[in-house]
Amino acid sequence: MTYVEYKQLNPFQRFAYNFKKFVLNIPHAVAKFFKAIGSAIVRFFTGIGKGFKNYGVTFVKGDWATKLSYLIFGIGDIHKGKYYKGILFFLTEVLYALYMIFFGWTYLQKFSTLGNVKTTQGFNELGMPETVYGDNSMLILLYSVLSIVITILVFAVYISNIKDAYRHQVLRAEGGKPTSLKHDVKEFLDGKYHMTLLSFPTLMIGIFNIMPMVFMILIAFTNYDQQHLPPGTLFTWVGFDNFASLFNFVDSATKATTFIELTKWTLIWAVVATFTNYILGMVVALMINKKGIKFKALWRTLFVIAIAVPQFVSLLLMNQMLQSNGAINIVLSYFNGGVNPEIQFLNSSTLMARMTVIIVNLWVGIPYTILSMSGILMNIPEDLYESARIDGAGPVKTFTKITLPYMIFVTTPQLITQFVGNINNFNVIYLLTGGGPSTEQFYQAGRTDILVTWLFNLTMGSQDYGLAAAIGILVFIVCATLSLLIYNNSKSMKDEEAFS
Amino acid sequence: MKKILAILMAGVLTATAFAGCGGDASSNSGSSSKAGESSGSTATGVNASVVDAAYFGDEDNVKLKVWTPDAAVNLVKQQIESFKKAYSDKKFDITVVAQGEQDAATQMLNDASAAADVFSFPSDQLNKLVDAGVIAPVAKGFTDYVTSSNSEDTIKAGTSKNTLYAYPETNDNGYYMVYDNTVVTEEDAKTLEGTLAACKKAGKKFIFDAGDGFYACTFAFTAGAKIDGLEEDGITQKFVKYDEDEAVKTLQAFAKLIKEYKGTFTSLNVKNVASGFKNGTCGAGVDGSWDTKVNQDSLGDKFGAAKLPTIKVGDEDKQLVSMFGYKYIGVNGSSKYPNSAQILALYLSGEECQKQRTEELGWGPSNVNVQKDKVVTESPVLNAIKDQSQNSCTQVNISSTFWTPMGNLGNKLVAEEWNPDDADATRKLLQDTITNIRDEG
Amino acid sequence: MIKSYKLRRHVANFFIYALLIILGIIWISPFVYLVMHSFRGEGLIAVDWLIPHEWTLQNYIDLFTGAGGNASINFPRWFLNTFVVAIFSCIISTVSVLMVSYAFSRLRFKSRKKFMNVGMILGMFPGFMTMIAIYYLLKAMNLTGTLVALVICYSCGAGLGFQISKGFFDTIPRALDEAATIDGATKNQIFWRIILPMSKPIVVYTVLTSFIGPWTDFILAKIIMGDNLDNYTVAIGLQKMLSNDFINTYYKQFLAGSVIVAVPITLLFLKMQKYYVEGVTAGGVKG
Repeated sequence: MTYVEYKQLNPFQRFAYNFKKFVLNIPHAVAKFFKAIGSAIVRFFTGIGKGFKNYGVTFVKGDWATKLSYLIFGIGDIHKGKYYKGILFFLTEVLYALYMIFFGWTYLQKFSTLGNVKTTQGFNELGMPETVYGDNSMLILLYSVLSIVITILVFAVYISNIKDAYRHQVLRAEGGKPTSLKHDVKEFLDGKYHMTLLSFPTLMIGIFNIMPMVFMILIAFTNYDQQHLPPGTLFTWVGFDNFASLFNFVDSATKATTFIELTKWTLIWAVVATFTNYILGMVVALMINKKGIKFKALWRTLFVIAIAVPQFVSLLLMNQMLQSNGAINIVLSYFNGGVNPEIQFLNSSTLMARMTVIIVNLWVGIPYTILSMSGILMNIPEDLYESARIDGAGPVKTFTKITLPYMIFVTTPQLITQFVGNINNFNVIYLLTGGGPSTEQFYQAGRTDILVTWLFNLTMGSQDYGLAAAIGILVFIVCATLSLLIYNNSKSMKDEEAFS
Repeated sequence: MKKILAILMAGVLTATAFAGCGGDASSNSGSSSKAGESSGSTATGVNASVVDAAYFGDEDNVKLKVWTPDAAVNLVKQQIESFKKAYSDKKFDITVVAQGEQDAATQMLNDASAAADVFSFPSDQLNKLVDAGVIAPVAKGFTDYVTSSNSEDTIKAGTSKNTLYAYPETNDNGYYMVYDNTVVTEEDAKTLEGTLAACKKAGKKFIFDAGDGFYACTFAFTAGAKIDGLEEDGITQKFVKYDEDEAVKTLQAFAKLIKEYKGTFTSLNVKNVASGFKNGTCGAGVDGSWDTKVNQDSLGDKFGAAKLPTIKVGDEDKQLVSMFGYKYIGVNGSSKYPNSAQILALYLSGEECQKQRTEELGWGPSNVNVQKDKVVTESPVLNAIKDQSQNSCTQVNISSTFWTPMGNLGNKLVAEEWNPDDADATRKLLQDTITNIRDEG
Repeated sequence: MIKSYKLRRHVANFFIYALLIILGIIWISPFVYLVMHSFRGEGLIAVDWLIPHEWTLQNYIDLFTGAGGNASINFPRWFLNTFVVAIFSCIISTVSVLMVSYAFSRLRFKSRKKFMNVGMILGMFPGFMTMIAIYYLLKAMNLTGTLVALVICYSCGAGLGFQISKGFFDTIPRALDEAATIDGATKNQIFWRIILPMSKPIVVYTVLTSFIGPWTDFILAKIIMGDNLDNYTVAIGLQKMLSNDFINTYYKQFLAGSVIVAVPITLLFLKMQKYYVEGVTAGGVKG
């Protein structure tokens, strides 16, 4: 299709065209994605190879101080007069050694077995019970992860110490002098400002997001469950058993059925919840922002209150109101000749419960859509409408030609974020139905449970940590792939500098 | 105060007496010789809830944390004051924290080292706690006294792998029928049919929490599908042999009755019973011993209590069978002051403390002496619970997969679309439920 | 022609008004129900009627004095805790979000896009499993059961929520930066003196969202606090009031407590609504 042809299409056709293009593009994008991952891995290994080569070459070329830096951090820098950096390098090594000797190594050496000394209970000489604690597999795993992460970081410091030593050696040979502390500080506020800005958040994210995540990923390969709970009992590595049990319809039929059924419902839920919210939210936003409608602020305020009340309060309240003796049934009894119909919204029929969840989710979600849509509607350049009016376009035409395409174009990224958000929408399901109605066909889950709420039940309810971690990883892979694909192909990412 | 002093005296006297004559036949043989070796004059056995201070070992400036349900916090605080007086030569810093018993095991398993040193928990959590190795067994020197002073059932349910793991606290952890005696007469309360009819006549509800496995298992138990501990693997629930045809008939009878009294028989969270009494919308309901006080407050003089009623199956009036358990006081295995924690647990589970809890909170005691007390024998509630406990399954050794399928069974039976006449569907539901409980996935 | 067009518009507007009124009632009614029943005198938990028969302030009084139950509930303390945690985590979160998004939006450096991708997908990890690890990490630092731990938890991941504010920064013309650089300003000065003053909507948006977090989270907070009732936040406290042990005594106080929590947040939201809309729009369009 040529540009001219494209321009002649109406907005819906254009949207359809773009949408089709997008869908057709998915296989290509997936392929590109994996190719990118592949080449990244290749680059990684060639990088390592190159690193080894440089490591050797630098050692041969280095003077005594540079050579000594291979053993003692920072000697090269100190020798060349870059004192503060040299001392920092050296301190890193000392602290690392202390950490490993007094803490890290005790755990790291048991990493391969996750401990083998069992906890025993006995009685002391007074006849009082005494617990002799053995290894705690969980702490071994956690602190091993910590030690490994620290080791990797220290290794990075080690390499940069060598590079820095050699750089300064070359610099001296060329007659240069190392930069002063003052100069470096200045550089960190300008040329290397990104390091200053990112270091603190990265550190926090590293400790409290990435490390726990690595820990969780490793848990998925262990038998950490009801029968293997530290500190009383040990757990150990089991390979891919947890993943296998999710797909094994023979030996663990209930788990596998639960997984498949919940995955289906999770996807249905995410699609329906996202689109109903989007479309109905847009309709309400359009109504509020329509020319000639008064009290815009009042209408918006009514909806905003629903955001401002903490979700767990409003959802728990909704749960009470939807019980067979709750407010909704009382209201319905006015239409039913005073007889309470006692409709079981949440714990009787699957369809009823699922519809209720989706409808309540509208109540929760539409206000957010209204807020962001209102902003976008106000942002549509007025001159677009002006010129349309001059061309003699009526209200219907301006809507279909200007308002709608603009909105759809602008909010597509949001739609995707919401989709992923709904896959992980814990609150609505957990607080509203608690997973009910119950069923005898699922393992630790009910008919409205989605994967994340199941994951929660497995960890908090039945202590199936290994299985839960495996599910967590699968959900994560789906969400991450989806968003990476979409973000890297979305307009806003490609045209990052469009406005500037 | 005088009483406590007396107990203290008795404790000290007997302890020294035992120490004098070495291994007495009634004292625990296992520990006596060892105790003797360590310090010539320590106690060898106890027969009161206050023991020789030698049991503390070298612990002093003791810091302990106690978990107890919210309702008992103030009483336990008082009891701890008397505990401190009983051992006035030691220094204590004991805090009492409100912690629901139903969460005790979960909290212990999440992080035992941050949990309480001494905690209350219901009997079904014992296995979980023992398996995870977070609960310490009862001190050897105390076992005989605890065993002899508490009822046999509570000791049996507190024992795992031939070791007594916890100090019995109550003998009342079950549910029974509470009713408004202006709506339901004592005679009505004997049968489910009578109760429902009386409630319907008064336009009031009968509330039963069929969605919660803890209550819903009544359906299965009454039908004959009673539980019988665990299989040898230690995780699979064992059921007694039962007549399936008879069981199906019973379940059908339940479903029929429920359908017949639609609008009267209401499946709601058990907390609605007390609320319904207060609003005047509830005529009767099945509620647990822990809600006795709030139900009594709501109904005042109109309060009535009885064991669960019977249901007519064919020509027979079948007694409803319930889940029944006990509550215990346990000691955290990772306590920093293990000896003091044992001594405190022994004290709190002792006769005097149990009696106070019975008088002030209405909890049914496990102590055999308190059980004979007037407070217990003349309490209609405790009698109702006792009667019901004759027709119950013990809440111990319950697999974690038990509750959800049972709750599902209850939900299905009371659901509007359930057809009580469909014997095949009922049979399948029962079979599925049992399979799901036994198959751990 | 014009007349009929006008008429049509009136009819359309009439329907829109009608619809908006109905929707407005639906959206506001749970809140009205909540407020009404927080003043209810009779009953324990649910009642079979919509409008309370007895009106009383007792629930609020009990909530603040701790009367009407055992001493385990200390709502004023919890309110204060939450407020303190919210203030601190909001400051740290806002600073880190702005730092990260400024770096990604205005600065060009090696592996910037890789960083952004990693940052984006990290935010998608289901958090429940990591809670165990976070708990033990905090325990190793001897912080479990403290408010500091909560501040750390609520603000540590804040940097990952950079998309919206990055989108906002992207819309500020780069010519401004260039002009400033020619005048000799460092990147640091540009951030503080030029970009930040122009970013009120996004700052308000970030402050608002991170301030509300501690008032609503109850899962992570509960695990960290354990049984340390003194350091509970209102969210865990309110949740506790609905547990089996407490609900009969505290249900009406729970309703009152919910109103107390909801009112300030609602007012804040209404006051800041304009900025919120501006922030989410500007950021969302690009992000």
